[in-house]
Amino acid sequence: MLPDDDAHDALGPEMRDRCLAITRRDTLKGGTAGALALALAGAPAPAAGEPSAAAHPMPVNGERLPIRTSVNGRPVAAEIDTRTSLLDFLRERLDLTGTKKGCDHGQCGACTVHLDGQRVVSCLTLAAKAEGRAVVTIEGVSDGDTLHPMQQAFIDHDALQCGYCTPGQIMAAIACVREGHTGSRDEIREYMSGNICRCGAYVGIVAAIEDAAARMERI
Amino acid sequence: MIPTPFPDRPRFDARDMVLGRTRYAADRRLAGMLHAMTVPARIAKGTVTSLGAEAALRVPGVVRVLTPDDFPEPPPSAEDGPPPPPPTLTSTVSFRGEPIALVIAESLEAAIEGAEAMRPVYAEEPFQALMDGLEADREEAEPYVAGDAAAVMARAAVTVSETYESPTQHHNPIELMATVAEFRDGRLSVHECSQSVGLAKYAVFAALRIDPAVVDVRSPHVGGSFGQKGLAQRQTALIAQAALLTGRPVKLVMPRGQIFHVAAYRPRSRHRVELGATGEGSMIAARYDAIQEQSRQGFFPAAEYHEAPIRLYGIENYLGTGADIRLDRQAPGWMRAPHAQASCFAFESAVDELAWKLGQDPLAFRLANDAARDPRTGRPLSSRFMRECLEEGARRFGWKERVAQPGSMTAEDGTLIGWGVACGAYPSSMPPAIARLRVGADGRTRFAVSGHEMGQGIRTAIASVLIEELSIDPVGLEIVIADTTSVPQHMTAGSWGTAGCVPATMKAVERMRSAVAELVGGQRIAGNLHRQLAMVRRPSVEVEVSELAPGQKPEALEELKAGGIVAMGPEYPAFTSMSYGAHFVEVRVEPRTRRVRVPRVVSIADCGRVISPRTAASQVYGGVIWGIGASLRERTEVDPRFGGYLNSDIADYVVAVNADIEEIDVGLIDRPDLIANRAGLKGLGQVTMAGVSAAVANAVFHATGKRLRSLPMRIEDLL
Ligand code: FES
Ligand code: FES
Repeated sequence: MLPDDDAHDALGPEMRDRCLAITRRDTLKGGTAGALALALAGAPAPAAGEPSAAAHPMPVNGERLPIRTSVNGRPVAAEIDTRTSLLDFLRERLDLTGTKKGCDHGQCGACTVHLDGQRVVSCLTLAAKAEGRAVVTIEGVSDGDTLHPMQQAFIDHDALQCGYCTPGQIMAAIACVREGHTGSRDEIREYMSGNICRCGAYVGIVAAIEDAAARMERI
Repeated sequence: MIPTPFPDRPRFDARDMVLGRTRYAADRRLAGMLHAMTVPARIAKGTVTSLGAEAALRVPGVVRVLTPDDFPEPPPSAEDGPPPPPPTLTSTVSFRGEPIALVIAESLEAAIEGAEAMRPVYAEEPFQALMDGLEADREEAEPYVAGDAAAVMARAAVTVSETYESPTQHHNPIELMATVAEFRDGRLSVHECSQSVGLAKYAVFAALRIDPAVVDVRSPHVGGSFGQKGLAQRQTALIAQAALLTGRPVKLVMPRGQIFHVAAYRPRSRHRVELGATGEGSMIAARYDAIQEQSRQGFFPAAEYHEAPIRLYGIENYLGTGADIRLDRQAPGWMRAPHAQASCFAFESAVDELAWKLGQDPLAFRLANDAARDPRTGRPLSSRFMRECLEEGARRFGWKERVAQPGSMTAEDGTLIGWGVACGAYPSSMPPAIARLRVGADGRTRFAVSGHEMGQGIRTAIASVLIEELSIDPVGLEIVIADTTSVPQHMTAGSWGTAGCVPATMKAVERMRSAVAELVGGQRIAGNLHRQLAMVRRPSVEVEVSELAPGQKPEALEELKAGGIVAMGPEYPAFTSMSYGAHFVEVRVEPRTRRVRVPRVVSIADCGRVISPRTAASQVYGGVIWGIGASLRERTEVDPRFGGYLNSDIADYVVAVNADIEEIDVGLIDRPDLIANRAGLKGLGQVTMAGVSAAVANAVFHATGKRLRSLPMRIEDLL
């Protein structure tokens, strides 16, 4: 993919020459960049009804592994780099960017998703472990435009500020209710302490979970 | 006329947030995108003699390794121009973790593998990472002076003189620092988490020496920042250059361990506070010296530790000195309640110690030392409702039940109970603004103004004004902020975000109303503005307004357009404007483990008129929780042997989690300050934290009789 020369004029003479010299050199070398750009352009679009392939094809690297899994109720088939975390698979390959990376070390909870109904930190879960299992992310929680009671409760109690920890908080909170750990505020606090909110929305989060727990029981 | 309070309203962008639809910088996924990984220096000081990039290039999927040679020479620094942009990649290492190369690959996995395969060789030099033992190497700051502190101190009947310390701390927003850059159709577009797209843009065009006109930076949502992403970030120009050189979009999400080493942080600081009072308990003199750790080139100002303390009380004689101790570390910077977190901890602890020495109730003592004007300038205060904060807080907390003697309030199991109070203050500043408002007959409204949304609720505040004061359809409202392709963008920091957009919003609303009234003439048309425009067959009306801080010269607008930071305050030509807060804290100290818990806090803030009650309350919760974290948990451990930080992740850098937080009751005085600006508002984000640590320390003293003067206060300090 050679940037066109005119476009680089705007950058001024020094940068223009720098960019063009480099891109020409690489292209002449026939480096991986050029080869891969072609591969990417030729990626087939998934046919309706078929398990959808990853939105972005797998780049050339590492050990490959084909997986079949279900994400938010839809079958997904993809070839992955065996090292790929479930978090990076969701975000970088499936474009499901609602699940957030806050640490990549299992310390913050921002990447919490449900795997067969259990909450897991997707950064410490290999994508390969999703084989044959059901993944639910924040994008799969609402019923179309109708919010899940937990989502509504988060709005009602302003249980969020920047919103970055929020998808993980909501996934953990729904699991917390299902696990039966909402007996008291203290119990909620304890079982929600794997999800850090640096903005400090904890008071609202606890209130939202108390509220939604009552409504979820009624469903 | 006192304006009516704004009603409670849900957060403007909450629905998208709970659906996972809000797009942060790292959520940009562009076709053909490459992934980058920075390579941090493994020494604290010295030079890179060879990068050892060959191994990285052999990793399948690695496309390029950028080195210092891929960047132009840094621009010459102009005398009174903006500060130079951050350096790019370097072979001269001035702190551990400084980026020395950038690996670009087809996948994130390959980029990480490539970066780890690098084998740089260094020539190391001796370095200094800690200020201990270097206290004599002071680089003095401009002092804050009122009256004659030395002479009056000598006459004081009662004095206290103690030293307090606040540790190195890192912001640690949950969002990692991220940049996505793309060069397409002759434009370089950068998506970044930033509190200042203007400075990010400057960092790109100045460092890469390209035409500013082709660079666009957008940061519509930031996943928390607290000051970390205020100044230009180190990675921005690197990723922009990577996109230019490869001709493909490039994304970097920096690992937290690296962020600890390149991002700003709260510098460790030491505070010697001497207070003098009359026998009756009137504070008459203060001498206060603050030293802080500083980088070689850093400019986080030591003088500003005095901005809040000098205005907390009416102490007429104040000598505030400050100094930097320069070290081989990355530059410290502004972190929530910058200066005031440390200085209000120190000063409000000392005030408590003085009250105790005088045998006075700490609440009554504070109320008796209220200020009528700014001791530093002698000028009036735009407004001050600190008394109201204290009185309302005391009422809600039940302060009158307090038994003065430390250790006298205990639970049945022997748990020690302590009640403490402390105040905080923070400058209320204001930048100039240019805003553009368009209302369409099609039901849409588009409002562009300067601002960045880091979770403080700036969109909600803007929407509150537009929806409340303009007859429009809220569903069609679009608020454009943090976008260099719209109106000029000022840094959103220092609690001036709301002042930097809401007064301008109000002005735009007035202008729009009269513009539509003029169009409609004398006709009476039922319905909202959209309908009125439709009736007079006008597709849309657009107005543009500009707003200046009180007493600010019109040239500030030109500086704003040029990307400058031109906020005024707290000292305006005719007055000083400060926000205030009072915090009441209960601590419980377990008898055997000495673990400290904070079951109850009441925090009341005076931020002038409240524009968005719900998000303002959330700001106060957040500030209190930050205060609790700073009091009991947070400290970055600097490694004296190798430089860098030992606890550079959020398992070892311990922040408050849900189980650390119990009942918090927040209140806002909501009294408009119409001297400060047309909206009657003052800043809020920082003052919510200022003083919380002192309230905790004062409560710990009341519970245990032990005065802790160094943060964080941990179990080992109470054994
Ligand atoms: S990103 Fe997975 S726990 Fe933080
Ligand atoms: S809302 Fe910002 S981290 Fe939780």
